[in-house]
Amino acid sequence: MQVKTRSVLAIGTVLAILTPVLLHAAEPEDIIKYRKNMMKAIGAHMAAAGAIIQGKVDYKSQLSEHTNAVQALTWDIPGLFPKDSDFGDTQAKDEVWSNRAEFEKRAQTVKVRAEAFAKAVKTGNPQIIATDFKQLGEGCKSCHDDFRKKEDN
Amino acid sequence: MRHRVAVIFWLAVGAVPAAAGGDVVLQGEYIFRAAGCAVCHTDEKHHGAPLAGGRALKTPFGTFYTPNITPDPETGIGKWTEADLARALREGKDDEGENLYPSFPYTSYTHLTDADVHAIWTYLSGRPPVHQKNKPHDLPWYLRFRPLIGIWKALFFQPGVFQPHPDQSSAWNRGAYLATAVSHCGECHTPRNALGGLERELNCAGNRDGIDGAVAPNITPDKPTGIGHWSQSDLAEYLETGMTPDGDYAGDLMADVIDDSTSHLTKDDRLAIAKYIFSLPAVENEIKHEMHPHKKKKEKKENYD
Repeated sequence: MQVKTRSVLAIGTVLAILTPVLLHAAEPEDIIKYRKNMMKAIGAHMAAAGAIIQGKVDYKSQLSEHTNAVQALTWDIPGLFPKDSDFGDTQAKDEVWSNRAEFEKRAQTVKVRAEAFAKAVKTGNPQIIATDFKQLGEGCKSCHDDFRKKEDN
Repeated sequence: MRHRVAVIFWLAVGAVPAAAGGDVVLQGEYIFRAAGCAVCHTDEKHHGAPLAGGRALKTPFGTFYTPNITPDPETGIGKWTEADLARALREGKDDEGENLYPSFPYTSYTHLTDADVHAIWTYLSGRPPVHQKNKPHDLPWYLRFRPLIGIWKALFFQPGVFQPHPDQSSAWNRGAYLATAVSHCGECHTPRNALGGLERELNCAGNRDGIDGAVAPNITPDKPTGIGHWSQSDLAEYLETGMTPDGDYAGDLMADVIDDSTSHLTKDDRLAIAKYIFSLPAVENEIKHEMHPHKKKKEKKENYD
């Protein structure tokens, strides 16, 4: 019993020391790189979905792969913008942090619309799919409009 | 014969779908939107009233605050006549004949057709008046002297209505008219020299010192540095939805331009603009992402201390 308590305490102590280290392990530069890659991944799936929806390519059976991916990747966008990841090689505007409530609201809109888009694809109705795709795109644009600085192509 | 051809092209350029119904107000609204007037003359960021101005345009030459263009007689342009508006658009002068700063892109609007100027006036003078005083521009002392604008105009301003190119298709001419006289793409996407004149040989090749510190990308059809890897329909699509062929979405000022202006155009007009843009000389000009000084780690750290 005593041994068990001691080992629990020991593990607890080790964790207590390690936790802050673990939490702060990520360098802001790496977070920025990670979120850029996440955004690129979302963009790639959106472009692929767009090409299918517009009938440019015939990969209809794969549309849900893209919409599911977009839904998964947009699940927690604010989480990609933690405090202190606001400097360096980023296009994020200061407003991401200074106007956090609005930023989170827009991210939430994107999340909800990505879910709706994924559901729409399951209905197979081309009109609903096209409308929901457009709305999701507007959600992306609305956030980029106020929270991203245009700095390169 | 040549003259007749020119006249036919002329009609093609000026023709707007809304004009088919003969409704000048609708034509005015269409051109007004295409010209992006509301983008700058509404302070959307601070929930300003439509067209009442007050939006800050930060440029390397100082901060301009757009004026109220609602028909309010005291604070807007309610006392202006149609001729006053025509003079502002065509010559860059206000109702008292004073020179206007070229932050108001009369360098482009000077190319508008008479019919479109009239339509804009008809639409604009029917907008609800808003009583909101203009904010004075925040400029360095040496630019506050308005007669200087006269010299600037002599150097960089070429007034005159758009002249259609008889060797080109009517779609190309329509696109050229929209891009150069109405939507004024080049005002943001062309770099400026030290005096603020557009560097014509770098037409649409990108501008590192854009409005509000943004970078306007190279939109010439150069493959490595411009949008040469896009198709014309990609560009038309982008002007409608804001999605690039890579699935990225427009942001910043261009998102406003798409929302308030180009997404309201007809599909044919967006395709015409794309046709014209892709006929521009491809200019190799890398607009590199440069870290903004205020984003540098060191300074930021100091702010936290």
